[in-house]
Amino acid sequence: MYKVRMSFSKDGPAAYISHLDLMRCFQRAFRRAGLPVAYSEGFNPHIRLSILAPLSAGHRCAGDVCDFELIEPAAEGEEMVARMNRALPPGLRAIRAVSTPADRPAGAPGEPLRKPGEIAFSAYEMGYPEGDAGAMAALFAAPVEVEKRSKRGRRQADLRDYIAAITFEPEAGCIRCRAVVRAGDDALNPRYITAALVSAGLVPEGFAPDYLRTALLDRSMDKFF
Amino acid sequence: MNNPLKASLERVKKPSRYIGGEFNSVVKPREEVDLRFAFCFPDLYEIGMSHLGSKIMYGLLNAMPGVWCERVFAPADDMERELRQGQMPLFALESGDPIGAFDILGFTLQYEMNYTGVLNMLDLAGVPLWSRERPDLSPLVIAGGPCVYNLEPVADFFDLIVVGEGEPVTPQLIDLYRRARGEGWPKARFLAEAAHIEGVYVPQLYQMEYGPDGAFAGAVPLHGAPNVVKKAVVKDFDRVYFPLDPIVPSTEVVFDRAMVELFRGCRRGCRFCQAGYTYRPIRAKSPETLAEQARAILRNTGWDEVSLTSLSSSDYPQLDVLCDSLVAELEPQHVNLALPSLRADNFNIELMQSVQKVRKSGLTFAPEAGSQRLRDIINKNIREEDLLEACRVAFSAGWSSVKLYFMMGLPGEADEDLLGISKMVRSVIEVFRLHAKNKARGVRISVGIAVFVPKAQTPFQWVGQTPREEVLRRQKLLMDSLKIKNVTYSLHNYEVSFVEAVLARGDRRLAPVIHRAWQLGARLDGWDEHFDPARWARAFEDCGIDPAFYANGEPEIDRPLPWDHIFSGVDKTFLQQEYRASLEGVATPDCKAGCRNCGALSLTGGHCDV
Repeated sequence: MYKVRMSFSKDGPAAYISHLDLMRCFQRAFRRAGLPVAYSEGFNPHIRLSILAPLSAGHRCAGDVCDFELIEPAAEGEEMVARMNRALPPGLRAIRAVSTPADRPAGAPGEPLRKPGEIAFSAYEMGYPEGDAGAMAALFAAPVEVEKRSKRGRRQADLRDYIAAITFEPEAGCIRCRAVVRAGDDALNPRYITAALVSAGLVPEGFAPDYLRTALLDRSMDKFF
Repeated sequence: MNNPLKASLERVKKPSRYIGGEFNSVVKPREEVDLRFAFCFPDLYEIGMSHLGSKIMYGLLNAMPGVWCERVFAPADDMERELRQGQMPLFALESGDPIGAFDILGFTLQYEMNYTGVLNMLDLAGVPLWSRERPDLSPLVIAGGPCVYNLEPVADFFDLIVVGEGEPVTPQLIDLYRRARGEGWPKARFLAEAAHIEGVYVPQLYQMEYGPDGAFAGAVPLHGAPNVVKKAVVKDFDRVYFPLDPIVPSTEVVFDRAMVELFRGCRRGCRFCQAGYTYRPIRAKSPETLAEQARAILRNTGWDEVSLTSLSSSDYPQLDVLCDSLVAELEPQHVNLALPSLRADNFNIELMQSVQKVRKSGLTFAPEAGSQRLRDIINKNIREEDLLEACRVAFSAGWSSVKLYFMMGLPGEADEDLLGISKMVRSVIEVFRLHAKNKARGVRISVGIAVFVPKAQTPFQWVGQTPREEVLRRQKLLMDSLKIKNVTYSLHNYEVSFVEAVLARGDRRLAPVIHRAWQLGARLDGWDEHFDPARWARAFEDCGIDPAFYANGEPEIDRPLPWDHIFSGVDKTFLQQEYRASLEGVATPDCKAGCRNCGALSLTGGHCDV
C-alpha cells in the first residue's frame, strides 16, 4: 500500500465543479490513467481518496491537495503527474505528487506526509473593481460584525478573528485583494470579505470576483505541501 | 468566456451545465471545419447527457472530417432569464459560439412534452421558428428521435426529419448538404433531393387534407415526394459505428455510466409500446462485439459501471455468455454491471447474482396491469405466478426491495383490474414474509402508476385516452387501495398525460397551439414544477381547438391517420389485427413462437434476429 499526496490546480471549465463532483472526476481520472488505486472494504467499495480542504464550487485553486492510495507503486513523482494530466479533463491539472509506503517507519529517508490537521490557513486572491484601496484596508482594521455560518450552526462573529492577513493593492484596472483566512472546521469563505465590502459601499452590489485559492498554509503560514 | 456570461454563471444553479470542457468533449480548430452542426437536446443537461442516442450521433458526426458537432441543451429557467435579459444568444457548449450561425441545427425529439422546449431554444438562438420563415439553406433545422413516428403537430417548424436510425442517413445528408451549398442550390431544391434519401421526410412536400367533419382525410405528396416515407434501418448492427470515447460529464447526471446496446427492436409485441414496434426488426450485436465495446469504453472513460441496454435485455439470447465474460474481467476492476429492462418471466437468479457481485442494485418489473384479463388485452404476457416466482427467487437471495410499474386508464379496464394491483402487491409482500433471507430489514415495495397515453404506430392508436373525471376517480381508488405498510406509490400527473395524449395522435392543426403555449410561457413541460395546464388550456382556446378531439378521440379503424405516410416497420394491417384481438381480449404470443409478419422484414430483406 502506498500513500500518495498530489497537489492540483482547478481553473477554466473545471472551476464550477463542486467538491463531490471533483471526487468523482479524480476517481475516473485514476481509472483512465490505469493507476492501481486502492478501494475501501465493505458493501460498497469506493476508491480511497480524500481532498484535504473542500473548495467551493465556482472557486479556482492553484495548489489544493488530495491524498489517495495505490496498491503498488505504479508511478511516482513526475511520471505520476504526467499520467494524471493525460487523464484529467481540461482545467484540472496535477502539479506535484509524492508517494510513500503506508508502513514507512518514522525517520526513514524521503518526504514524510504531514497530517491534514496541520492545514491552518487558506491564501486567497481576488480582484475588485477600481476604487479606494485604502478604505478597503481600513475596513478590516476595525471590527466587522457578521453572522457566520459553520457546520456547527450560526453565530455572531468578528471577521477579523478569521483573517490572519489581508491586503488591497491597486493593479492595472482593479484592486487585488490577497487574504490569508482560517481553514479547517470553522473556515472562512472569502465571500464574507466581498459581502463586507459591499455592505460598506466599497464594492458595487452584485459584484462577484473570481476567487482563487493560491495555497494551503500551515500554522506558520508556510505552504502545507 | 465573455463577462456578461460569467456574471450570469455566478447567479444560476448548477452553472457547470453551461460550461462544457468535459473529458472527451470534442473541440476542433475552426480552420479545419466547414460544417458546424448543433446537436440540440430539448431538455436539461442532466437528462441529455444520459441519453445514448445523442452520444452516438455526436460521435458519428465528429468522426466525419470537416464536420464539428457541438451540444446544446435547454437552459433552466434561471439561465433563460439571464440569456434574455443579457441579450445573449443560445450557444454551443464546446465553442461557446451562438448556434444561430451554425449550418445545421438537429433536434432529438424524445417525447411530446419537449415540443415547447424546441421552440424556446430556436427563439433563444435567434432562429425563426417556422420552416417557411427560413428561406436559406442555413441554418437548416432538422429533427430525429422517437417522436418522428408522428410529429405532425411540429412538422411545420422543421425543414427535414430523419425517420428511423441516424447512422445510415446522416452521412448521406451531410454529403448532399455540402453539395447543395457548394453548388448554390436554393433550399427548395436541396429539400426535394433530400426527400429521395431513404428515411428522410420533408414535411412541406406533403399537403394535409381534412374532411368536412374535421377528421383527417389524407396526406398528398407533392413534387415527386414518395407516397410513404420508409424509416431508415441499420442493416449490419454488429458492425455499425458505435462511439468508444463518449463524453464523461464532470457533474452528476441521471445515468452516469458506460452503455452498450445489446439489440434494437423487441419480440414481445406489447400493444401499448411504441418503441417495441418502431425499432423492428430485431437486430442484435454479437457478445464478442459487445464485450470489446464495453472494455474500450471503460478504458477511455473511467466509469465504474457499464449498463447493457435494450428494450428487453433478458431476451438477448447470449446474455449468460456475455455476462460471464464481462463479470470475470470487471469484478477485479470494481466495475459494476447494470442490467435494466428485465422481464419477470425470464428472470435468471444465477445471472443476477453473478452480475451484482460488485454492487447490488434494485430490481424493477413492469406487470403494467393488475389482472390477467387486462394483461391479455394489452398483450403484456406476464403471469402473476411469473412475477411472484421472480420475487421469491430474488428475496431468497437477499434482495429486499422491488419497484413495480403499472399503467391505469388502459382499454377495457374495470375497477377490479385496478384493485388487482394492490392484491398483487400484497402477494409480493407475502412472498417476502415466507421466503426472504433478510427479513430483519423489512421489504420495500415502490409502485409507479402512469396514465395510459395511446401512441401512433401501435395497435392502440385507435383507442382514446380515458377522460379526466374517470382518470381522477380511478387514481383516487388506487391511492386508497395502496395505503399499505412498506409500500410507497407515485401516480403520474394526469394533466401532463392529457397534453401528451393530444400531441401523440395530433396533426398539423396543433402547430399554432404549441406555438401559443410557448408564447404563454411553456418550456420545460416534462417537469412538474414548470408545467402549467392553464397555459395549454388557454392555448387550445385561443386557437379554437378542442383537445379532447385528439386525446379522447377513437378514429374509425379504416380511416386514414395523420401518420399513415410514415412507415415505422409495422404494417397498418398488422396493427389492425392486433387491435381487433385486443377487443376480443386475446393475447398474441411473442415472435419467437413464430413470425407474425408484422412487415418489418421488408426493411432488411428478410433478416430479423428474434
